[in-house]
Amino acid sequence: MKLTIGHLYPDMLNLYGDRGNIRCFQKRLEWRGIEAELKYFLSGEAVDFSGLDLVLLGGGSDREQELVCRYLKEEKQGFREYVESGGTMLAVCGGYQLLGKYYKTDRTMIEGLDILDIHTEWDARRLTGNIILQSPLSKAPVVGFENHGGRTYIGNHTPFGKVVYGYGNTEEAEWEGVVYKNVIASYLHGPLLPKNPEICDDLLRRALTHKYGEDISLSELSDQTEHRANQFMADRLMKERKHR
Amino acid sequence: MMLGLRRKLAMLCGKIAGVIVQKIGKGRGSVLPGHVARLIEPDILSYMVDRFQGRIVVTMGTNGKTTVNSMIYHALEEEGKKVIANRAGANMLNGVTAAFVQAAGRGGRFDADYACIEVDEFASTQILPRLKPDCVLLTNLFRDQIDRFGEIDTIRERIKAAISSVPKAVFVSNCDDFISYTLALECGNPVVTYGINEQIFDGISNSEVRESTFCRYCGGKLEYDFFHYGQLGIYHCPSCEWKRPVPDYTAEQIRFQETGYAFVIDGVPICSRASAPYSVYNTLSAYTALRVLEAPVGRFRETIEGFNYGNNREGTFTVNGARVQLHLVKNPVGFQQKISMIMKDPKPKDIMIQINDNFQDGTDISWLWDVDFLYLKDAAAASVTVMGIRRLDMALRLKYEDIACEPAEDIEKAVRKLSENGTGNLYMIVNYTGLFPANQMLRKLQEESKKKQKGKKGGSVK
Repeated sequence: MKLTIGHLYPDMLNLYGDRGNIRCFQKRLEWRGIEAELKYFLSGEAVDFSGLDLVLLGGGSDREQELVCRYLKEEKQGFREYVESGGTMLAVCGGYQLLGKYYKTDRTMIEGLDILDIHTEWDARRLTGNIILQSPLSKAPVVGFENHGGRTYIGNHTPFGKVVYGYGNTEEAEWEGVVYKNVIASYLHGPLLPKNPEICDDLLRRALTHKYGEDISLSELSDQTEHRANQFMADRLMKERKHR
Repeated sequence: MMLGLRRKLAMLCGKIAGVIVQKIGKGRGSVLPGHVARLIEPDILSYMVDRFQGRIVVTMGTNGKTTVNSMIYHALEEEGKKVIANRAGANMLNGVTAAFVQAAGRGGRFDADYACIEVDEFASTQILPRLKPDCVLLTNLFRDQIDRFGEIDTIRERIKAAISSVPKAVFVSNCDDFISYTLALECGNPVVTYGINEQIFDGISNSEVRESTFCRYCGGKLEYDFFHYGQLGIYHCPSCEWKRPVPDYTAEQIRFQETGYAFVIDGVPICSRASAPYSVYNTLSAYTALRVLEAPVGRFRETIEGFNYGNNREGTFTVNGARVQLHLVKNPVGFQQKISMIMKDPKPKDIMIQINDNFQDGTDISWLWDVDFLYLKDAAAASVTVMGIRRLDMALRLKYEDIACEPAEDIEKAVRKLSENGTGNLYMIVNYTGLFPANQMLRKLQEESKKKQKGKKGGSVK
């Protein structure tokens, strides 16, 4: 078996260690004896979605996002078809915002890909800090770090998880991210996947199942290091919450 | 009259506060005198600066500002000049104010030719208008402490506002860093540039992750002849033809020798004892600032060749016969450079990495995934130990490069063990809040092993 992973615009959307998610995909496939091929698409290059099984769209600064937006216009159709036909994708922070209708910043209006019926509005107060979610996609709590000026309004979409600690989509929302078909869109950096291996495996499983047309179960890995790092943060933050 | 009295009182009380903290051993008086003086007269710094007759140079930038400020300071002292400087890290408004309060003589007069002031980028909008420097040196701009500063664009805007507020100051700019160089052009201040034309640095010091390299004028993608490290390199924009300028000052014939980088600046050969690639930039930028200040540079070579890179922060220690090198890392670019430095040492070694996530470290440690650790596989490391609050995250990062490591809770115990049973060549890499305790601990262990050594010698005479 083999998966081809597409990293979109790593030259612009590469904030806060998000490429760690790629590393996580690669190693967890490799450790299971599944081949992983990595393709980078730099801004300006056409993205051939037909050859991709798994896509990462990371985050960038507002200025970079504006630039990316130019290139994305050309890719809108391909993007939409990929997602609607069940392609697997992880979109983080800026990438999450770009999947929506628009992102209104203090200076400008960034047009999104209009794949999700969501929109984002900027506020001067950044929502920054550690975050914990409870997600149906993971038995263990999902831990990460959020750092965003945008508030994302997700309408009727299914959220990625319930906020147990931290902010999430907005200060009041109590929910974080969106799950749509085989797309997980989230504000969580950390990077998201290494400390939340169940989420990584969920995406890998979706991609393999979509590609090979049958339910594929992944072999167990020894995730002690992952679990310890996850649990350490979850315990520490829950303790902090109690003391508040 | 009242105002005059209040200013004098502010300076006096600041000084007294400085004496008290030093006497009771609660610190070095690097910040408190400024705090106290500003309680009495908030704008005391402007007043002192007006009375200061010498020239003022400010150093800012993500990496290297403490070292560069110290180089300028020592170079001026070496030339017999009287110099005021703020203490390493005391680079916010109170720290800068404290430096002047402490240096003020009777009647608030200053007997100094120069003031070398390191300024925190975030505090620069407060400090620069008051300091009215003659020269502002910006070393570089990388992502650092990002959860505190927001994105790099935010900090860039802040620096721009600060430097624009002092339009007469000469902006000394690293023109290999297009982010700093375009900033210098936008400020409208007079600009003097420095840069390196030769391709000299290895690929290891050059992480894949860098700030996005897009032309700030037309949004086109910059093309690079080559990268030095980070986004530093020889660039041009193919769409609008904007390009890196020929630098006013440069370092040439750069080569790595056993002890560190050797190079030639303005015809003068210098053999530095620093082995991280960025140290060449540090030296070059300090030299450029000195020339801008029209300061004498006849003994610059001696200053650099005898320069103590320790800054009381990093340093080399001997513990139980083992050489222990303590290094600070604050961001991916810096960490990548340290890895490159470690790779230049072919001897077997033990590596310790401590990662904390306290406020001053930056509470977001995701940047560890922007460091290419895979090279450590070939670093002849007999062991890797991970420590600090986020040691488990560090262990996880290394796991995804298939590098085995051992977490340790008690750092002192780990150093003792490795210095006794290890390779005798220990690298200890820590982030910000780990540095001071590690430095204290290594000094203590060094003293202990010296005593032990003496005890043994005494014994053998009997």
